[in-house]
Parts: sequence; structure tokens; C-alpha cells
Amino acid sequence: MVTLLVAWAVRLSGDPAVMLAQGAGSINAQDLINIREGLGLDRPFSAQYFGFIGGMLTGDMGRSFMGGTSVGLLVAQALPRTLLLAVSGLGLAIIIAIPLGVHAAVKKGAAADQVIRIVSLLGLSVPNFWLALMLVLIFGITLRWLPPSGAEGPLSLVMPTVTLAIILAASNVRLVRSAMLDTLSAQYIMVARSKGLRDRVVLYKHALANCAIPLLTYLGLQFGGLIGGALVIERVFNWPGMGSLAFDAVSSRDYPVLQAVVTVLAAMIVLVNLAIDVLYRLVGPRIRKE
Amino acid sequence: MMMRMRSLFVVLALGFAAPVQAGGILTLAQAQDPASYDPIDTFLISWGQIGSNVFDGLVQRGADMAIKPALATSWEFLDGGARMRFKLRQGVTFQNGEAFDATAVKFTFDRLLGPDGAKGPQQSNYNAIGSVEIVDPFTVDIVMKRPDPVILTKFAGYGAMIVPPKYITDVGKDVFKIKPIGTGPFKVVDYQPKVSLTLEPYAKHWEGISKLDKLIYRFIVEPDTQVAELQAGRIDIATNVPVSLVPAIEKTATLKVESITGPSVTVLRFNTANGITKDERVRKAMIMAVDRETIVKTILQGHAKTVVSNQSALSFGFDPNQKPVPFDPAGARALLKAAGIAPGTPAQIDFQSNNPLFREVAQAVAGYLTAVGLKGGVKGYEMNIMTNDIIPNGKTAEMFQFGWGGWTFDYDNTAYLLYHSGERWNPYDKDPILDKMLEDQRLSSDRAQREKLLQGVAHYVADHALEIPMYNLNTIFGVNKRVKGLVPPADNRFRLTDVTVD
Repeated sequence: MVTLLVAWAVRLSGDPAVMLAQGAGSINAQDLINIREGLGLDRPFSAQYFGFIGGMLTGDMGRSFMGGTSVGLLVAQALPRTLLLAVSGLGLAIIIAIPLGVHAAVKKGAAADQVIRIVSLLGLSVPNFWLALMLVLIFGITLRWLPPSGAEGPLSLVMPTVTLAIILAASNVRLVRSAMLDTLSAQYIMVARSKGLRDRVVLYKHALANCAIPLLTYLGLQFGGLIGGALVIERVFNWPGMGSLAFDAVSSRDYPVLQAVVTVLAAMIVLVNLAIDVLYRLVGPRIRKE
Repeated sequence: MMMRMRSLFVVLALGFAAPVQAGGILTLAQAQDPASYDPIDTFLISWGQIGSNVFDGLVQRGADMAIKPALATSWEFLDGGARMRFKLRQGVTFQNGEAFDATAVKFTFDRLLGPDGAKGPQQSNYNAIGSVEIVDPFTVDIVMKRPDPVILTKFAGYGAMIVPPKYITDVGKDVFKIKPIGTGPFKVVDYQPKVSLTLEPYAKHWEGISKLDKLIYRFIVEPDTQVAELQAGRIDIATNVPVSLVPAIEKTATLKVESITGPSVTVLRFNTANGITKDERVRKAMIMAVDRETIVKTILQGHAKTVVSNQSALSFGFDPNQKPVPFDPAGARALLKAAGIAPGTPAQIDFQSNNPLFREVAQAVAGYLTAVGLKGGVKGYEMNIMTNDIIPNGKTAEMFQFGWGGWTFDYDNTAYLLYHSGERWNPYDKDPILDKMLEDQRLSSDRAQREKLLQGVAHYVADHALEIPMYNLNTIFGVNKRVKGLVPPADNRFRLTDVTVD
């Protein structure tokens, strides 16, 4: 279904032959026909679509209209980079968000809670490209500690990761806080405390475990979004991932690339949802018993 | 102390990770990876920038745009221009060791004009060529099917770059396009799609070995990111610098801005078939209403020149004596009144919305039109929609943005495609007089006469007010001052043989 929609919709949006021929000097009708033939666009839609599906099933994603590069190769290069960025960004966001969220919930109404809430609101409000540019300005240009762009090694990963993490952490902090507040008022927490358990054990073992379900659901959604490529972040840091690939494909009407990217992303999101469902069973004994 | 340690660590780590830039490594950022390096596949400036270093043509063009010998040492026109005879340079080899001779020239053009070339955008530029005949191993004749006055220039670029027959036959197109081999001064040693392309000098190049140790192209789409990399000292040349980022470069002591005449000209064309702009007086009034000098000085910060026709001063067909229509709002108002245009009549400019700089220009023009009593408006379209539908199908409003230019710097390339009846980029005009002028200059083999004819076209277009000639935008490069010997050419095709990096 996804593949059909995409294949159909991209063909509505413009003629790639014209994009290719533009600037070539003179374009006449015959040039366009030749180029369309070369790209296989003279075939009926059904032939193009089933060619694409047949190719996908056999692992052949076709060739980019721009330069004829294998789409499989482009995706194989972009996907790991995007996954790396998504995992590191979300990982760092969790590391920041959980202690802060728990702390804010415990100190509800106190100064620490207020500060955390205001900071997380700031984090939510800051546009990601602005944050990215500020980081580049400070750490890339002024201090020169980190490369402003590219994907050349571990250091290149730092700024995109931090940018993503700050944006994601901001919403996660608020989620953890509110989930914890609900849990902390539950009777089993009172029981745990009255048993004389230490605060840390109560908070992180008893309370947090019970916040895991909503948190997991939310993280799954965020992760799915990130696989689509954190487009703006990828552009600013020139990170050659799925977002950049998709953007280029859209602007040049590169149907094969676009179809492949969307199909792969749809498959990845299904996988992530499946993984989240499996994780539910691991963290939630009640779900296991049902 | 802790802070110190940390920065020390970061500095150490950077030392390992960042590319070392000493001893002649030049890193250049450009927006686009052409993806295929096969000369017949492309028309992109991004290809031209790289291709001019990997390949040679029969002739080449210097930074001053003059044609010079390259793989051909001399040439002559026979049979009244219908046949061109090229004497080829001897002792030239391709970067894989394959010898260059007449066979390679014939192979190149047969490929370009045959079924392989038909799949790409380059063939149509060379359609005037009938065949290539080998006279002896170092002499070839190029036989023309019909005249093409610009053909010699076209041998200096793009589709006419000479390719190695044996290599292409052996490895096939799919390998050739990502591991290109030419006779040019640099050879490709590494290619990471959409990330970078690394070249090294070709030791046996016929002009001698280039000075750089290594030449790296990095593909960076965002202009802000290019400039950030330039400021961080990690690239030496940023090729995609919008006017708004010029001050950032100027403020950095290690960098300089190179702003040179660019290849493309922007005009606002009129819908001459419908609405108020059908009336020539209205079009003239609109041209008079817009203060283009001020637009260039303020919005474009002086990084452009106003034009009198749809070509730059470097173009063949440019007439230095042609005078611009002066800015005259009072005259414009009088003309509009004479044409019976009611105050507040809408006049809309359609433009490509991906260009934030032009949006400002369009708004300024709309403002000027409003000032003479019209109701100026702007409407942005996505680039693909604009070039696939709105313009060729004649769906524009009163005016539409049109940017055009070509690396050949010949007015024919603009005028014929924009003003001749039935052309894709000419949705509105059908003028037999103009058609005749455009056809005549194509048939003329006398250079001086053709120049006169082209100048005549420019005057005719101006007299009939087919467009508001706006400006020739400069190409702006950001360059690190450690780069020496760089002469930015007007066609953006850097040949980096004499460049060094301190």
C-alpha cells in the first residue's frame, strides 16, 4: 500500500526528464522522449510499479535518475549513518531526561523542579536549526573543538547528537516527570518506602519500572521519526543520511530513490513498533501474563 | 585544570580525526555531487568544476574566456566552415596509460552522438556535427551537418571532453562514470558518493604536473555550512556563497571574498499574450518604473551588474553601446495613463520560491510597480512546477522570473531558446521578424556579421519591451588566504593546475 501510494504520488509531482535536460542548451521534444526512454518512464505506470516491486523483492532497488547510481548502494550508505545518529541522539536524550525527570518529580514544586521545567520548556521552544547553528558557531568556528560538518569520525557525531539530544530530552523530561508523579502517589510506593527501602531503590527500581510503558511508547515514536532522518539536523551538519537522501530525491524528482527511501523507512518503522511491543513484554510482567 | 585537560584531549583527538591540511592539499566545497562523472551524462556546473580538472577537450578556455589549444594543437575550417580539421597533440596519454590519438576523438564523438549519448542531456548541444573522420592518427576532421557558430567553444567543455576508448570498452559505463579516466591534470583516486571526491595530480599531463599534492571536493549543500567549514579552516574554497553570508567571510581575517562576473542573467519576462502586459506601452511603463541600480546596490549589495539585455558583458552579442531604459516613475505613470490602465490594476510577479534573495528582489519590484499606480504582487512557485508547467504552458501572471545563462557565453544560447516561436521557453511570443533574425544569425559563418545580428536581436527585444532586464549576478566564492595562484574563471570551471596552498 505504502509503495503504491508513493509510486503514484511522486509521478504526479513533475517530470524528471525536464529536470535532467534543463540547462542542456536547447531542449526539443525528441530530447525529452529520448531521456524518458532512457529512464524507463515511457512504460505504463503498472509496468513501472511492478518492475519496482519485483526489484524490491529481489533486493534490487533500481537506479537513481541522477547519474544512474544504484539505489541500494545509496540507501546502504545512508541508513547506517541515520541509525547511528538516531541511536546516539536518543540514547543521550534518555541519559539526560531520566535523572532530571525523576528529580523534578521528587522535588515537585521546589526550586529544582521549576528550573528543570523552565529549561525543558526552553529546549522544546528552541528551533533545532538555530540550536545547531549556535553549536557550530561556538564549538566549530570559535573554539574549533569539533568539525562543523561532515561524517568523518566520532568527533563529527558529537554536535548532531547533542543537538538532537537536547531537543528530544526536553520533551522526555516532561514525560518522565509526569509519569513519575502518577506513580509516586501509588500505594505500592508507600509500601516500598515503609519497608525502609532506600530512596534510590524506591525511585529507580519500583517507580521508574512502572513508568516504562508510556516512556517506551513515546521513545518508539521518536525513534521512528528519527529514522526518517532528522532532516534539518542532517542538512545543517551535512550528515549524509536518509533525510538528506530523501530531500535531494524530492528536489530532483528522482522517483527510484524516493520510492526506495519511503519503502525502507516504512519497513523500519514497522520493525521498531514490533521491537517496542516485544520490549513491553520484557518490562511489563502484566502484559506478559495476558 | 580540568578544563585544560579536556581541551587538550579534544585538540589531540581533532589532530587524529580532522584532515591534515599542509603541503598543498586544497579542499573545495560545492553544493552538489554530479553522481556520474561521464561527460555525456551531465550539464551541471558541479560537474564542470570537477570535469575540467579530470578531462581535456580538443580546445580549452582560459580564465579570460579565450579559446586556446588543448588536445588539438591547431585547427582550420575547410569547405566554407562545413569541415573542421584538427591537428592532435602527440605523446598525450590518458591517466590509465592508454594513448591518446584520433581513434579516441572519433570514439568520443561517436559515443556522444550515438545511442549512449541520446540518453543524456549533452547530445542536443552537439547535434550539428555530422560525423568524425580520421585522416591520420593525429589528424581528425569534424564534418558538420549544419552550421553551429558556437561549436568551437563547445569543444572546450562538457560533452566534448575526450574519453579513453579501450578503458570504457573494457570496464563499461557503470564503472567509468564513478571511476572516470581522462587526459586531464588530475586523476580521481577516491569517491564517496554525496560525501567527497579526491583527486591527485596526473604526473604525465601534457602541460606538466600540477602543483597541488591533493585536491579534495566535499559536497556540502547548505551555504551556511560551507561558510562555517571555511571559517573553521577545514575547506579552502566555498563555491556556494549567497550575498547574505559575505559579511561573515569578510569579518574573518584569514578569509577573502572573490566576487566575479557570473554566467547567468536574471530578467523579468512579460506575459505578452494576455492581460495588461499585452500592451507594449504598459510593458515599457513597467520597465521605467523599476530602479534596478538601487536594487543592485541595496538588496544585492553590489554583487551584480545591471544589464541592458539578457546577457552579461562577457557574452558574444553584447553591445556596449546599448543604453538602458532610465528609471522614470513620472514617465511610467504617464504611459500607464495613456494606455488606459486604471490605478490599482494588479501586476503580479511569479518566481521560484527556493531563492530567498530573489524573493526580496521581487518584492522590491512589486513595490516600485505599486508606486506608479499598479498593484504589485508576488507569487512563489516550487522550482519544478515553475519550469515544468507554469512557464512552458504559458500559465504565468503578468511577469515571471527567468534566470538563464550558459557556459558558452554566446547570446544565441539565450535568445534563440527564449524568443524564437515554438521554443519551450517561449510560451507567448510569435514574431516572424524576430524568428527570422534569430535564424539568420545561426546561418552566418562570419563572426563579425553574426555579432552584429545578435546585437540586433538584443535591440529588437529591448525596443519591444519583452522583458525587464534586471541584473547579472556575480558568482561569489569564499577563499582562504593561504590559497595562492587562484584565478576564478567566469564560467566557474576552475582548472586548478597552478594553485598552491601554504
